Amino acid sequence: MLFQSQFYVLIFLPAVAALYYLCAGSAVKRQWVLIAASLVFYAWWDVRFVVLPVGQIVLTWLLALAHERSKSRALLIAGIALNLLSLGTFKYLDFILGSIESATGLVLPRAHLILPIGISFFSFQLISYLIDRMRGQAPIYPLRPFALFVLLYPHLIAGPIVRHNELVPQFALDPRRDGLWRRIGIGLVVFTLGFAKKVLLADKLGSIVDPLFAQAQTHALNLGEAWSGTLAFSFQLFLDFSAYTEMAIGSALIFGLILPENFRRPYLATDIRDFWRRWHITLSNFLRDYVYIPLGGSRNGVSRYLLATLVTMGVCGLWHGAGWTYVAWGFWHGLGLAVCHGWQRLDRPMPKVAGWAVTMLFVLAGWVLFRASSFGVAGSLLLSLLGVHGSGHVEAIPLLAAAALVSALVPSAHEIIDGFRLPFRAVAVAGGLLAICCLLEVGRGAPVNFIYFQF
Amino acid sequence: MLWRSAQPRTCRTADWRAFAFVFLGVLAVGCVMIYLFIVLIDPYGVVPFSLPLDRRIVSTHQRYMFPQIVRSGHFDSLILGTSTSRLIDPERLDRAFHVRFANLAMSGATAWEQKAMLDFFLHTAGPPKVLVVGIDGAWCNPKADGERESIYGFPDWLYDDDPWNDYFYFFNSEALITAVRLVGLQLGWYRERARFDGYAVFVPPEPTYDLARAQKNIGTREPSPNPLPPPLPADERSRMSFPALVWLDASLARLPADSRKVLAFMPVHVAAQPTPGTYRAELEAECKTRIMAIGRDRGATVIDWRIASPLTTENKNYWDRLHYRVPVATRVADQLAGAVLEGRQSDDGTYVILAP
Repeated sequence: MLFQSQFYVLIFLPAVAALYYLCAGSAVKRQWVLIAASLVFYAWWDVRFVVLPVGQIVLTWLLALAHERSKSRALLIAGIALNLLSLGTFKYLDFILGSIESATGLVLPRAHLILPIGISFFSFQLISYLIDRMRGQAPIYPLRPFALFVLLYPHLIAGPIVRHNELVPQFALDPRRDGLWRRIGIGLVVFTLGFAKKVLLADKLGSIVDPLFAQAQTHALNLGEAWSGTLAFSFQLFLDFSAYTEMAIGSALIFGLILPENFRRPYLATDIRDFWRRWHITLSNFLRDYVYIPLGGSRNGVSRYLLATLVTMGVCGLWHGAGWTYVAWGFWHGLGLAVCHGWQRLDRPMPKVAGWAVTMLFVLAGWVLFRASSFGVAGSLLLSLLGVHGSGHVEAIPLLAAAALVSALVPSAHEIIDGFRLPFRAVAVAGGLLAICCLLEVGRGAPVNFIYFQF
Repeated sequence: MLWRSAQPRTCRTADWRAFAFVFLGVLAVGCVMIYLFIVLIDPYGVVPFSLPLDRRIVSTHQRYMFPQIVRSGHFDSLILGTSTSRLIDPERLDRAFHVRFANLAMSGATAWEQKAMLDFFLHTAGPPKVLVVGIDGAWCNPKADGERESIYGFPDWLYDDDPWNDYFYFFNSEALITAVRLVGLQLGWYRERARFDGYAVFVPPEPTYDLARAQKNIGTREPSPNPLPPPLPADERSRMSFPALVWLDASLARLPADSRKVLAFMPVHVAAQPTPGTYRAELEAECKTRIMAIGRDRGATVIDWRIASPLTTENKNYWDRLHYRVPVATRVADQLAGAVLEGRQSDDGTYVILAP
């Protein structure tokens, strides 16, 4: 099921919310309501998919329980291996086979497994729980809240990646506690903003991006086409993913649950470290805590720092997709972070505007690598951006301008949650009308999937 | 201030409750009112209960408007295709073939959408007396099976027998705009956008034609590789896959022998045709070969305007690389009638009859 479908907005969400609040007096009942709703939401694509997250949750929980009794770290390591194995099999097996094939010339069979939606997200959450247990930072939760922590449908498919200690304690809180109507009111606003970003901007940008990147596979784009495609994809990716996050945060808020921030207007970043503090924040935090710091972080000398940064960002790239272009994109950002770190140690700060321009050019070049189907196409597109393949005009300037303004000016979900204080009714009327516009727009055809569903 | 106030004012629970209720109230009441309006106007002439209005083609969204043309029962022949077939005037073909044509070609139509339209025609109006399929890249797309729907979306619910399920699909901006236009039409504030046989001129008016601008729109043809590579071996060509041609063959097989079938490669500018020596050219050549075979098997006339010819190399015949001008459309319609009815060959190499 998609957040931006009429069925979700007009039937599923109201029905689940009504049932949830009918059961609000009982923590057990309301948790079951959310578990059932999450399973229905997930099974909407393909009921077979449900087996995988449920299986991984139950096995992870059983291993954690066994560890609680035996204190054997091997059980936790087995749990991590199990989740990695699942992720590796479904997401990376064919990629690994293809890479071996390219390197050795051997002809290997392919598994052609369907990628279960959201597998990267729920696998990472389970792994983080097991690592936290190793560190003595995670208790044993009863199976029901533990399962709900992973399954909770607003974040199940594409995050934000939530830590157990951020979410499980919230399940015990009565959703009717103080601030109920503020949470519902702001939840509606945040959800609607995400809805509008997705259907009124991101999907429209997609209709510019897809043909241009498809064309780039067969012939070189000119300067105008290359900039149109690259800018449109940069805005599309942000608006699409942040829209998903806002719809997730808004939906959860209606249930009285607060999900963490994932974006903070990243295209206002003035250096690449700042960018990663604003872009996909929960993934950045996850990689920092579970990969970068264990590898030594920045406090063990320059070479260790470089290794930790490059490996972390390589993992970040690989997490996004089973392809070498994603890995290269990760290394590109790793390199950028290292250079930025070095520059900042010189203590010669760049003017803000120059810093912003350099950062955005760096990020745009990275998105070309991220979106292109191969290194050849990416290289050709980068040359096109420099004007090597002829001039041309940038397309859809009004749409790109609107996307730029929204990306820069619309506050993030948590900026709204923290800052929206005065519930003027005119805002409520505008929000209701905007939601109607979005519903009418999505009714025109099949809703378009979120880009991050494939990761 | 809406945002963080310098001196925060405490909002009562009642303020937030009112906010949420107003938000949800506007949403609920707005949705119900808009829905009732659309259903009562019934912009596509499809649901069981609606106001008795003069329903004409007031939208350029052919996928939504054309089912009512088919349902009207006024037409016994049809033209399928994309925008490259939209300018063929059905009335011109009516006079030549002595039938009643509807032009049901849809801008940007995928092969699957064209097949869906043909299936709907067969199911609703019966076998056509004459079927003209305007062929272009859509039918030769190797990825046609994975790209069944165009960016415009395809409302399959309008193409079935069940008028009741249509109620589920009326809540959308397209239906709302069309309903408003229909009301405007009744009041004389709006004019129809296409004739009820589906024909409409979507290119600018002829007097505004500007050759320099057209030349800019047409651009240049991709250069040929130098040196030209050898032609692909036969086994490699035989491995090329055209999923849409399986559908085309199956659809033609469903037509009775007395239905006249025409497969016409429409005349796009040579700049839009594949450059000789490229893989695209090999792909298109193989596709044409297979369409010729289908034509022979199913008794269809196959005519090819998609060649380098005096028509397709002259910029003055085109608005852009895909769309020819209205006088050209008239010529093509006449040539099509002559080729099908009399087997008349082109005297200037504008087209070639490939089959039978």
